[in-house]
Amino acid sequence: MFTDFLRSIFLVDLAKGLWLTLKYTPQPAFTFQYPSERRPVAPRFRGVLRLQIEPGTGAQTCIVCDQCAKACPDDLIALGGHREAGLKIKVLDYFDFNLSRCSFCGLCSEVCPTKPVRALIMSEDYELGSYSRDEQIMRVDDMYDGVAIEPYTH
Amino acid sequence: MGLIDHRFADNIITTNLDSVLAWARKNSLWPMGFGLACCAIEMIAAGGSRFDIARFGSEVFRASPRQADLMIVAGTVTKKMAPVLRRLYDQMAEPKWVISMGSCSNAGGPFPTYSVLQGVDKVVPVDVYVSGCPPRPEALFYGIMRLQDKIRKENTTFRKERAIRLGGTEPILVEDRG
Repeated sequence: MFTDFLRSIFLVDLAKGLWLTLKYTPQPAFTFQYPSERRPVAPRFRGVLRLQIEPGTGAQTCIVCDQCAKACPDDLIALGGHREAGLKIKVLDYFDFNLSRCSFCGLCSEVCPTKPVRALIMSEDYELGSYSRDEQIMRVDDMYDGVAIEPYTH
Repeated sequence: MGLIDHRFADNIITTNLDSVLAWARKNSLWPMGFGLACCAIEMIAAGGSRFDIARFGSEVFRASPRQADLMIVAGTVTKKMAPVLRRLYDQMAEPKWVISMGSCSNAGGPFPTYSVLQGVDKVVPVDVYVSGCPPRPEALFYGIMRLQDKIRKENTTFRKERAIRLGGTEPILVEDRG
């Protein structure tokens, strides 16, 4: 009883709590500063869908086989191409991808048969924000790998 | 700003006032956490110490719409929830903004069914859509920064009426290409 009284007079519990706070104070900050510092993603992270070109030549790798469009559970991909004389593969005319509904399951890039460079990949870009629904339709020019999303640094 | 809304033309006083107001608004966006599904977990993670939404001035997740500026709709909005969401939006004080977070609230996501609202923009006017399933906390920050950019350019005297999207909202993928 008397010890309890003394504890409350000398604010022992408060001092204990503050000591715990003080113990954690000199540690470096746990927060990472997102816009200036970008954390690496997990190795199998599935970001937004991208088309890849052949690294050396810059040639088109997509063979317009339509398998990704068939694999997509929500029918978000539409692509088409035409044949040209002298070329073995079809030339890609359009590749529309409806980002708004995409659940990033990765089935489209899993079925992509092109080798050795896979035409359709799940990239590491996750900074996706738009002001309208129409901006979320990605056309073929937005789809190529390495299309820079403008970073915010302020 | 009911006193000066739609009353004066653009002039040097209101534009300077705008920049001050916009600066204050964009740096203290108090969100109302409308966590409905798995996106809410990422939103909570964004509020934690690792990502720390407080760096953007939005750390105070209010439980009451009267105290909030920003509604982060995180998750699947069912048709049963939609009237509640609209009511809470109406109860928020002007100026107010809405972030739609994740594929479900953007467009219904993988649920094109009778019970799920196909896009939260059918009931409330959405300012920024953040894609992802669910979006990373960084992606939510990206959305918040885009919203801050939008608020910075806002004009008080000619505040644009924001409208909800009626009718068919599903965009057309293959158009007539000649």
